[in-house]
Amino acid sequence: MNSKIRSWARGVFGWFDDRLPISSMWRSQVSRYPAPKNFNLWYIFGSLALLVLVMQLATGLFLAIHYQPNPHLAYWSVLRGIQQDSHWGWLIRDMHIVGASAFFVLVYLHMYRGIMYGSYKKPRELLWLVGIFIYLALAAEAFLGYLLPWGQMSYWGSAVVTNFVTAVPVIGKPIATWLRGSFVVDLPTLNRFFVFHVFLMPLLLLALVLVHLIALHHVGSNNPDGVEIHDNLNETGWPRDAVPFHPYYTVKDLFAVSIFFVVFFWFVFYNPSGWGFLLDKLNYTPANILHTPADIHPLWFFLPFYAMLRGVPDKLYGIMAFAGSFVLLACLPILDRNPVRSIRYRSVLYKVNILSMAFSFLWLGLIAHGLATEHNMVYGLHVTEVFYMTFLALPFFNRERPMRTRIIWLVAAEALVWLVDVWMYSIHAHSWGLMLQTDWIPALYALLLFGLAILFPALTHDAAKLPERLTAGGILH
Amino acid sequence: MTKQNSPPRKHPIALVLAAWLLASFSAAAAWASVATTRPPLKPITIDLQDKAALRNGALYTLHMCTACHSLQGTRYSSLPAMLGMSEARFKEIIGTNGHHYHDVITSSMPSSVIDAFVKMLPPDLTYIARRHSPAWLYTYLTSFYVDPSRPNGVNNVVFNNVAMPDIFAPLQGLQKPVMTEGLRYGSPAKVAIGVEPLTKGSMTPAQFDRTARDIVTFLYAVAHSHAQERWRLGPWIIGLFVLLSVLTYLIYRLYWRRVITSEERWWKVGK
Repeated sequence: MNSKIRSWARGVFGWFDDRLPISSMWRSQVSRYPAPKNFNLWYIFGSLALLVLVMQLATGLFLAIHYQPNPHLAYWSVLRGIQQDSHWGWLIRDMHIVGASAFFVLVYLHMYRGIMYGSYKKPRELLWLVGIFIYLALAAEAFLGYLLPWGQMSYWGSAVVTNFVTAVPVIGKPIATWLRGSFVVDLPTLNRFFVFHVFLMPLLLLALVLVHLIALHHVGSNNPDGVEIHDNLNETGWPRDAVPFHPYYTVKDLFAVSIFFVVFFWFVFYNPSGWGFLLDKLNYTPANILHTPADIHPLWFFLPFYAMLRGVPDKLYGIMAFAGSFVLLACLPILDRNPVRSIRYRSVLYKVNILSMAFSFLWLGLIAHGLATEHNMVYGLHVTEVFYMTFLALPFFNRERPMRTRIIWLVAAEALVWLVDVWMYSIHAHSWGLMLQTDWIPALYALLLFGLAILFPALTHDAAKLPERLTAGGILH
Repeated sequence: MTKQNSPPRKHPIALVLAAWLLASFSAAAAWASVATTRPPLKPITIDLQDKAALRNGALYTLHMCTACHSLQGTRYSSLPAMLGMSEARFKEIIGTNGHHYHDVITSSMPSSVIDAFVKMLPPDLTYIARRHSPAWLYTYLTSFYVDPSRPNGVNNVVFNNVAMPDIFAPLQGLQKPVMTEGLRYGSPAKVAIGVEPLTKGSMTPAQFDRTARDIVTFLYAVAHSHAQERWRLGPWIIGLFVLLSVLTYLIYRLYWRRVITSEERWWKVGK
């Protein structure tokens, strides 16, 4: 009897398998997909981000069912209809809120992993670029969704961002009106933001993630040693340093998922507003078109870009400053052409630079969290200079530089820092007294980075010998 | 340049960290320049199990506050469970202000009155305890003081130039401010940091203090209406994933042990 059922089930599966590449896809992409055996903690964030994407789609579906995209109804459709009147509405909404922030935490860590281990280098340039587009789509998705509850911060945040376009000379204002469908953020804006948030952007995100995964499985994964595993195959054609993705990385990812959910649900159940970081307190007030809040903040994941925007005393240049950081990220494969992939085998000063990249990004977030005082604006500008410098200094580390080149880099970097200040002063943006309080930060950073390169050339030497095989397997080592 | 054989490897990283630390001090200096003297908030502990406090808070909120304020995020029918009463008892003791039992709690003030006299819609109170901390609300409710320069004749210690009249004056009596030389947005100003009693009200100070605390407790319960469910469900869900973490870790160890301990790569494709 039992064997009869089994053969019947096999027959049914066989019928489908003959007509769809189920088992062959499973084999080539999962159970026989070679993954480097030394993935460490940094390599779990990609699959966790995919999990959060699915979770956002599922919770978002239920929220969209109960939501009313109309300024008169939106706020209470969320804060009464979903939060109070519908069964488990509060849980689903809080999962969606915490999920949005979790998505950014995971994506930022995932991107930094790529930067640390040189995952943007040949042949993974396109993989990296698609990833940048995923980040941009995610940012757009988060921004669009933030308007929907129609709270004070939702409304004024959207008003500020849709006003960005007016910075474009001549055609800016008509375009902003066209984008909003109105002269201010209003019913047409809310309607289109809702449609983009639940329909256009999720489709785009899914498509981009699919391309990201196809590209990844085409070129294969990088790893913490930066060794190309496909360069060392055994007699059957299997990379000697690889394990099959299933079961090795499926069980590891399941462990990571469990840990992730412990943290995730702690926030969902005990701290859904995340100390006011995941959901601004001001959003518990309905949007009021006649009352502009004293301090309009983006959510935490946009704060560093907000500091860059605020730092430049001109709307158009400010937007260029923060958009430029995306361009720099996208240009990483061009900027960093050093053949050594992993940070493990890069020079000391390169490590300092990559560490400062993360530090300055976090620091910009802290500055933007403060009030929009003139000092904080200048301060943001100067830390933005450090953030930019960590990218622009990358070509310096492409190969070992002669002494003359080191001195030129130092002088050029210092000159750039001071030129920005001279420019700020020349347009009467800030006084020298105010600027001198913080412009030693980029000046000192340039001095440290290139000055140490001049004094101690050994600090710019990458590892003399690169490993040919992976040095360790699994995080237990 | 002489050849450096053994450069101080940790040195540059320490220098960069020191620079960042210095930068943080300069940030602290910046925040001082916009400082406003913040009056101390009176501490309050919220006990959502204290049903007597919740009922008393509900009574005052629904009979006094809803004269002007609404609680549009909640319905009368959702309150009895929170207050630990039956529907009949709720209707008898607290009542629904003449509304249907399943109605949303709206302000009793007609919109024509708002347009004619108040001009500004009093804020909805459903989520006021998420907008402000309980300590802030408690201090706010108890810190109105006489200020003849204001249209309503009163001001508030934690909410300068507040538009709300001191509706607690008959209960609490009037209060006078304790002023100090402080800062408002970085410039010196006279700032109220506390209040002292001026006249007597119908309640004793202890009674009024109790009432204010109960109102804040009730508003907190309304703003966090699923708190009980969260606390009941949370440990189970989180416990489930802690358990799953242990199990999946053991499975992970089981699979990876062979990868880690084996010197040669034991797996073969197509076996």
